[in-house]
Order: sequence, then C-alpha cells, then structure tokens
Amino acid sequence: MSDADDHKVIRTTGLTMRFGGVTAVDHVDFALNEGELRCLLGPNGAGKSTFFKCLTGQLTPTEGVVEFRGQPITGWLTHDIVKLGIGIKTQVPNLFNGLSAYENVRLSARRKHLAPMARQKAEEMLEKCGVTDLAKREVGLLAHGQRQLVELAMVLAGEPSLVLLDEPAAGMTGDERDRLARLVLELSRNASVIVVEHDMAFIRQIAKQVTVFNRGAIFREAPIDEIMRDRAVQEIYLGKQADVAA
Amino acid sequence: MEKPVAKDPGFYIMVLIGLLIMFGAPIWFDLFAIMQVTQYVVLSVYALSLAYIWGFGGILSFGQSCFFGLGAYTFAVSSINIGETTFPFILSFVLPAAFGAALGYFMFYGRLSDVYLGVVTMVVTLIFWKIINHTAGPEYSIGDARLGGFNGIPSIPILNMPGDPDAWLDPAQMFKFFMFLLIVVYIGLRVLIASDFGRVSVGIRENETRSSLLGYDVRRHKVIIFAIGSGIAGMAGAMWATYQTFIDPNAFSLEMSAKALIWVMAGGVGTLAGPILGVILLQWLSLKLGTLQFLNNFVILGAILMVLVLALPRGLVPSVKHWALTGWEMFRRRERAAPPAKEVTSDV
Ligand SMILES: Nc1ncnc2c1ncn2[C@@H]1O[C@H](COP(=O)(O)OP(=O)(O)O)[C@@H](O)[C@H]1O
Ligand SMILES: [Mg+2]
Repeated sequence: MSDADDHKVIRTTGLTMRFGGVTAVDHVDFALNEGELRCLLGPNGAGKSTFFKCLTGQLTPTEGVVEFRGQPITGWLTHDIVKLGIGIKTQVPNLFNGLSAYENVRLSARRKHLAPMARQKAEEMLEKCGVTDLAKREVGLLAHGQRQLVELAMVLAGEPSLVLLDEPAAGMTGDERDRLARLVLELSRNASVIVVEHDMAFIRQIAKQVTVFNRGAIFREAPIDEIMRDRAVQEIYLGKQADVAA
Repeated sequence: MEKPVAKDPGFYIMVLIGLLIMFGAPIWFDLFAIMQVTQYVVLSVYALSLAYIWGFGGILSFGQSCFFGLGAYTFAVSSINIGETTFPFILSFVLPAAFGAALGYFMFYGRLSDVYLGVVTMVVTLIFWKIINHTAGPEYSIGDARLGGFNGIPSIPILNMPGDPDAWLDPAQMFKFFMFLLIVVYIGLRVLIASDFGRVSVGIRENETRSSLLGYDVRRHKVIIFAIGSGIAGMAGAMWATYQTFIDPNAFSLEMSAKALIWVMAGGVGTLAGPILGVILLQWLSLKLGTLQFLNNFVILGAILMVLVLALPRGLVPSVKHWALTGWEMFRRRERAAPPAKEVTSDV
C-alpha cells in the first residue's frame, strides 16, 4: 500500500466483469478521494450498475482488485463489505415491500444503533428525505419517486462514509429532484459519494468531477464543464440516448 | 409487525382462548373428545413450526416431516432406553434443531436457490423415510429399542412427571400439558417475531439483497430460523409419539410434510393463528369425510384446498382480517370522510 492510497476511499485496479461473452466492466482503474462527490455518466448498458455491484460484492469480479481505504475487499461477501461503511441505493430499488417506510428505515438504523436511538434516527431520516407523511405506508404501494426517497432515507440511516447512488432521481417530480440535489450536496460534506445519473440539469446542480463510462471502460474523466463541452462524450452519450428515444 | 406484542389485542385474545380451552375442555368434554382435541393440539404445534420458517423467514420447506419424524423417533428410542421421559422430551427438541442447523448450514451457506432448497428438504425426508422403513430386522436396534422398520415402534412410554418415572400423565393431564406447550410456543414465536431478530428475519423474507446491503448476514439468520423451526417440529413429533404410544415411518412421509404446507397455506402464510385454524378445520373435515365410504378422503380434501386457494389466495385469517378492516374503513368513511390510506397492520 502506497501513501497515496491513504487518500482513496475506493480504488479499483483492472476491474473486469464478464457475463458469458459480454464484458460489462472492462479493466476499469478508478479511484475516489476521501470526501469527493463524483458523477458517473454513460449510456445505458455502459456498465455503471455492474460496476457498483462489483464494489459492493453483489457480483464477484472476474478479474481485478477492489480496495476500500487501502484494504483489498475483492471476493468479500456483501454484508461484510457494507459494514465497512458503504451504503448503496440500487438502480432498481431494493426495499422491504411488505413493510412500512418507517420500518424499512428503522431496520437500516438498527444495524448501527440500539433500539431507541434507531427509532429516533429513522424518524430523522424520513424527515430529512421529506417522506415523513409516508412513514406508515407500505412501500410496495408507493410511487417510484417516493420509493427512491425512502430508499435514500434507508441508506442515510446506515450512516455510511461512502454512498453509491444509482440513478436516484429517476421517477421523481421536479420538487423531489431539487430536494435530492440538496440532500446529495449536504451528504457530501460528511461522506464520499458516487452518483450515477442521466439527468443533465440534476448533474449540473451537484457535479464537479465526472467519470464517463462507455462499453464497460472509462471513456473520460474530467471536471463537469469540460465534459459538457466534449464532442466525443456528447456523441457516445447523446447518440445512444437518441437511439433509445427513437 | 409494527405493533409490539404487548399492545396487540389479537395476541391476548389468542392466549385467552388457549387458556380457556386448556382449563375448560377437561371439564366440558368427555375423555374421547379430549383425546381427539389433543391430536389437534399436537398437530398445531407442528403447523406452527412451518408457519414460522415459511411465514416469518421466507423458507419454504417441503420436508418439515423430516424433523417431526426425527423428534418422534428420538423420543421413542431414548425414552425406551432411559425409562423416563423428561430428558428424551428435551432431546427431541435439541436433536432435530441440531440436525436442522447442520442441514441449514449446508443449504444456506451453499447458497442454494429456493427451488433447490425445496428439493433438498424433500429428498432428505425421503431418505429418512426409506432408511427407517428398512430397519425391520432385529439387528436394527438402538440399545433396548428396536426400530421395527415399517412395523414401527410400539409401547412408547407415556409422559411422566419430571423426576418421577412412575407418575404417568393421565389423558386430561397430557392434554393440559400439550395445550400449555402450544401456548408457550405461540407466545415464544410472537415474541421472537417482534424482536429485532424477528424483524430482520421478516426483512430477509421481503428482500434478501437489501438485507445484505444493510449489513445483515442472511445465511446465518436463515440457519437459526430453520433450526428453531426444526426443533419445534421435533418436539411436536415427540408429542405425537407419546400421545399414540406408537410411531411408524409415516411420521417421515411426504404426506406429513404436505399436510403442514396445506394447513399453513389454508390458514394464511405470515400468521400464526391461521395455521392453527387450518389444522382444526382440515383435520376435522377429514375426520368427518373419513366416515364417508363413497369418496376418497384425499380427493375431497384436495378439492377443498383448491377452492380455498382460489377463493382466499391469502389464506383464511388474512382474508377475514382484510374484510374486517375494509368493512371498518367503509363504516368510518360514512361517519366522517377520512382519506383511506393503506397502512401496514400487524398480523396475529
Ligand atoms: N446479470 C447479468 N447477466 C448478463 N448480462 C448482464 C447482467 N447484468 C448486466 N449485464 C449486461 O452488462 C452490461 C452493462 O449493464 P449495466 O451495468 O446495467 O449498465 P448501466 O447501468 O450502465 O446501464 C449490459 O450489456 C447488460 O446487458
Ligand atoms: Mg444501470
């Protein structure tokens, strides 16, 4: 471990994930500084979600190494990895559908706190994410945007030091998006954050440094202004998006 | 699941009914009826073992009779050898629980998918059934107890008072003791389900991925849930063995596993009261139908089950509860226009 690693929350070296013939993540060397807020861009199928799954042990990478604060965690089980302080909001929300929003968030808080504190924490996080009025509702019956907010409250309740958000704004109303942007900025004061998003207006509100994925590999890594001006990025990104829209 | 047990009126109602039956039945009913009801009590304990692992841990086992049979044979063999029943009775919980833990370890740490889990539990049960069936010869005996193969083990001791092997329980006492056990198992499971462990189990049932993403060890939880269910099924097996003073390999049969599934399904997965109701209703029905000669009992039971599943896909107790809540909601809305919102309610 070199000295430089001390400043990296997460570092991947040659990270590769293959599904049969498909290489979803292709020799990715990625590093995130302590306290950094990073946006991940890239067309659908670029490998962003798979990359997140490799970081959290939901998938065991075919090749390569994942280090968390200098410690290799490749091949670890998910529950051991996240206990190091990682919270993830998955692209397809993973919620306890039959339970109330409150119980969802409480179960997250309970991992770190004793029961009375966990209850308090759950209420705080619901409040913070603006879903207090949904506390007693069954999350399986909520709208997609509301589910995203409940899942966010759940992630925050675990007090992670590294937060991964996979398309958190999807399905949200304008108001919900603004709240989310504020939340992410606030969150990044105490934690390192990686956000996958497509919504450019949203990204402009929060992003500084951006990593662009394409076909499983890192295509560009630059500040947001540069990325916005980059013709090649526009082509792969918007080109693909236009295909999807067409 | 939100409400603590102590604040749930349904819980007190259940315990009260249980106590009422426990003390009332010996006074109101004759001996024959008492012995009939004792049978329901034993099978209710067995049904609860599956109701717990399936409804509150999301583990669908097609081989619950494996542990029922194991408990029954454990009790039979050890009580015949020891000549008293207290230790064998405890052993009939501990041994199946340990076996359940070992089998669970293999299944859950081996990351067996749900379908394979169903197959494995069924196959293990079949193996037990086959093996025990082939132990008819005198060479198959454990100490003084001959396993007896398909002939079964006769003369299994009746439960005695702890410490006094000659003080056998009479039928009314046995009924009271079993009723007491049923109430204890019910209370124990309710408390367990409401505990942090139980809430995490329900979380695992709802979403395993999210549970592990929060840092909960899904495998370990499932092994513990499965072992508890196995222990309770084993105890029910011992109750069955001492109640009948006889046991044969059919304790391990797939029919016995299927019955548990049917009771739980009919009564309602995710409840404890439901499966008990399922036992009483379906056992009573099959007893009545058994007296009919012109139709196969199983055909009628199968038909009843199909109607139940189609008409009440959620099972008896959840459906009745849903109707009651909907009715109450309509009543309230007529009183004052309140916005109806689906809120999560606790299940008995
Ligand atoms: N479990 C899987 N099995 C097979 N292929 C997969 C699996 N998960 C993802 N992929 C493939 O990997 C590629 C990257 O997918 P994904 O990571 O979801 O992209 P993104 O999140 O950037 O849209 C896609 O081609 C997808 O079809
Ligand atoms: Mg994705």
